[in-house]
Amino acid sequence: MVRFKSRYLLCEVCVPDRSSLQLLEDRTIYNTLRAAVNRAHGDYGSALFNIGVIVKYLNAHTGVVLIRSRKKHYRLIWSALSFITCLENRGQKVQCFLNCLHVGGTIRTCQKFLVKYNRQQLHRMLPDCKTDAEKQEVRRAILSCSLSNVREEEAGEDGSDDDGDKET
Amino acid sequence: MEDPSKFERYVYKNASVYHYMKISLVLEDGNKYITDAQFKQLIICGLKDLYGEVGASFPFDLLKYDQNKLTGILRVYNSGLVKLWSALTLLGSYQNEACAFRVLQVSPFLLALSGNSRELQFGDQLTL
Repeated sequence: MVRFKSRYLLCEVCVPDRSSLQLLEDRTIYNTLRAAVNRAHGDYGSALFNIGVIVKYLNAHTGVVLIRSRKKHYRLIWSALSFITCLENRGQKVQCFLNCLHVGGTIRTCQKFLVKYNRQQLHRMLPDCKTDAEKQEVRRAILSCSLSNVREEEAGEDGSDDDGDKET
Repeated sequence: MEDPSKFERYVYKNASVYHYMKISLVLEDGNKYITDAQFKQLIICGLKDLYGEVGASFPFDLLKYDQNKLTGILRVYNSGLVKLWSALTLLGSYQNEACAFRVLQVSPFLLALSGNSRELQFGDQLTL
């Protein structure tokens, strides 16, 4: 069995205003990344970018992006991620940066990491709750989403992250 | 018994951290006045086009430059040799005019560039 091996870069888009994430499209990320790679690595980088790089998954609610790249040159794409400072959303520019959370060999491992990561974030945020009402609200939110989406693992992970957002 | 003038071969591996390249610039309509700074700037532009800002960020030096013949000697670290060479090869225009870099000689020793066996002019005893 021979196949093309890939690396998946799991990134989060950090923006000052979370509401601007809703307008995000995978096409926008792709074009911005291509421009960044072209600037940092020239024609050579662009040529490598054109084979195998694709935005596999974008969650506009949480700002999580999964970018696939060939294993051979994922470092080149990775290095260009740091040079992205703004995304263009339907004509308006949004200041942002991409934070690479995890580099995995399969989508599955990235998904597992994302679930773990979001759980950790939640544990970090819970002690920050000021009042009991807030804590109850968070608990209720977690329970509601985990029960409704118990079969759909991915949906569950999105829901838990949403809870974290409400907390902030 | 042993021949005193026995052939001996010395092989140096990784003898030098640098490589030296002798290159010449060929312009489409003959020679032009190009200063050494412009010459190096042209090479840097070629590197930036091909490898971008990050990829082109390695040091190289223009050791010697002949304005009349548009030839020069470059010194580059071994790690950057392939990048520099490929950028020189793919460089195709200077001020909207077709041009090309000819790589004449490449060697890890600067002394080897002092003579070129391909341009040897043999003495009278051979021509006669």
